[in-house]
Amino acid sequence: MRSLAERARVALECVLRAVVLAVLIWFLVRTILVQRHGAVEDATSASIGTKLARWSTIAAPSRVHVRIDHPPAGRDRDWLAALSGASTDVDWNGPKLVPTAISVEPRIDPAGGADVSVASPENAMTVLADTLGALDSAKATRTGVRGYIPKFRGIVDAMVGPVVARAARHDSIELHRLLVIGQAGWEAKFAVAALEERGWQVDAHLIVSPKGDVHQGRIADIDTAHYSAVVAIDSSAARYGDRIANFVKQGGGLVLWSPAARVRSLAAIAPGGAGTLIADEGEAVPDSAPRSGLELVPITALNPDAIVLEKRGGDVALAARRVGRGRVLETGYTNSWRWRMAGGADAQARHREWMAGLVALVASSGHRTVAAAPSDVAPLVTLIDELGPSKVSTESSSLDPAVVARWVFALACAALLLEWASRRIRGVK
Amino acid sequence: MTQFVFATAKYASGDWESAPSLPEAVIDAVVRYTTIDIAPTGVYVDLSSHELFNYPFVWLTGHLPVRFNDEERNNVKQYVERGGLLMIDDHNHDITGQFHKTATEEIERIFGKMTRLPKNHELYSCFFVFDDGPPNTHHELNGYGDDLLHKYLDAILVNGRIGLIYSSKDYSSEWNFHAETKKFMQQDPTKFGVNLIVYALTR
Repeated sequence: MRSLAERARVALECVLRAVVLAVLIWFLVRTILVQRHGAVEDATSASIGTKLARWSTIAAPSRVHVRIDHPPAGRDRDWLAALSGASTDVDWNGPKLVPTAISVEPRIDPAGGADVSVASPENAMTVLADTLGALDSAKATRTGVRGYIPKFRGIVDAMVGPVVARAARHDSIELHRLLVIGQAGWEAKFAVAALEERGWQVDAHLIVSPKGDVHQGRIADIDTAHYSAVVAIDSSAARYGDRIANFVKQGGGLVLWSPAARVRSLAAIAPGGAGTLIADEGEAVPDSAPRSGLELVPITALNPDAIVLEKRGGDVALAARRVGRGRVLETGYTNSWRWRMAGGADAQARHREWMAGLVALVASSGHRTVAAAPSDVAPLVTLIDELGPSKVSTESSSLDPAVVARWVFALACAALLLEWASRRIRGVK
Repeated sequence: MTQFVFATAKYASGDWESAPSLPEAVIDAVVRYTTIDIAPTGVYVDLSSHELFNYPFVWLTGHLPVRFNDEERNNVKQYVERGGLLMIDDHNHDITGQFHKTATEEIERIFGKMTRLPKNHELYSCFFVFDDGPPNTHHELNGYGDDLLHKYLDAILVNGRIGLIYSSKDYSSEWNFHAETKKFMQQDPTKFGVNLIVYALTR
């Protein structure tokens, strides 16, 4: 009769033999499956470069799972997409990735520069940079980040956490001249001065008397071949009204001081009508809110398709609309020259920039495609487009076959040694 | 839209108010020949005050020595650089006089050397045409002051535009009369004043 201890040893030996047998069967089945279906492998952002080379040469995994903490470079992403296209099941996940996209539009402005829009989650810190380094940073609002970059080299990156969206300049702008029409006065004079200082070529017709006006430049036909935009300072633009309206419908731009919207032919294309003058007090123009100190002829009776761009208190100060193929912007600030003359230390530059900004919003231009650096304007979107949406891996990570073989051998040896030792202790060979 | 207001500069030294009827005569000419929206009366504006920047054209004249204080100097510099036009006229019509010596010293101290405006400058053709440059005054022709006919005006140019004009022609005497007097004159002497204002408002 065997003792209890001996029966336990015998049972343990059976279990150990069963373990060895199970491990060998599992290893055999796994080897057959790997041979038939290929291995399942994974990688991280750090290892993806070497793993891709391995998956494309010495290993042929049936499935790969990539855990990424920043979007893979375009080369790696395309390589993964190619693997996916070559019947390897590729999936990925990256909980730290933030959806980010960037758009860079060259501004229609002789000073160059570009308007940058970045879509990123609210409150995310966004850093803009070009090839020479950081340009600016801002916290995203509900509508992302919008800004103007005066100069940049080649590309603009928007960095939000680990995600870098990259845009490149794809075309160059061909500018035409501007035509300024108005009564001889400070607003017309300083509008022309600001635009010329900005680099625009300006023709002007400034009305002085019924017998003689001041012409600057040689006023050509008002069409998009000659002019990028017309600037109408007041109702004296009436003599060009129909031609301006046709110009806008053809694709030209019009910047309209609200009193000019009283001209019948311009009223039809204006974003709104002209209200009653709110005079300024003649005080110094504050640096913090310079346009708050200017006189205003509010834009009233807005056209249904007009978009309000700026309000002062409850009054509409800037509005715009599309007309045909062109655009019209209406400003209610009728003595912006005071900003330049009576504003703070940098008022002249800020007024100039503002004035150029008004024109840039509507001006037409020719575009010429230029060679551009590779861009990646929405890296997460592209990743999803190429590899599908993020997946959390449900399988345990696959192991290197060599490592598995070593572990199987060690486990089998240990089990057999234990079983042999048990038998020897019992005195059985 | 802002009305044009003829402003005369007040400065700490000298007799800035020496041509009190000049604004009236020039305003009359502007109204007579143009549709420019102009205030019926002129104003005096202190060169040292921020109010100066509300008047992008300012007339400055006098007989006595001119010495700007620091505030006046800073304001004049900023005023010209921002696009204002300061017209300085020697009421003595005398290049050996105290006004000329001190005013030109002040100008050169602030801006450096002045440029001589050529006779074909657009200032002389922007409204009325003056083929021979700045029109002469009776004071020049009659031998008052330095007994010279000054053929040119001097200027400070900013980005190609005139920011400051210096005149030895003594328009301050020539135009310092009641506007009604023009009906007894064969030629309106203030026509060049119209050009000054048209230039200021359009260039």
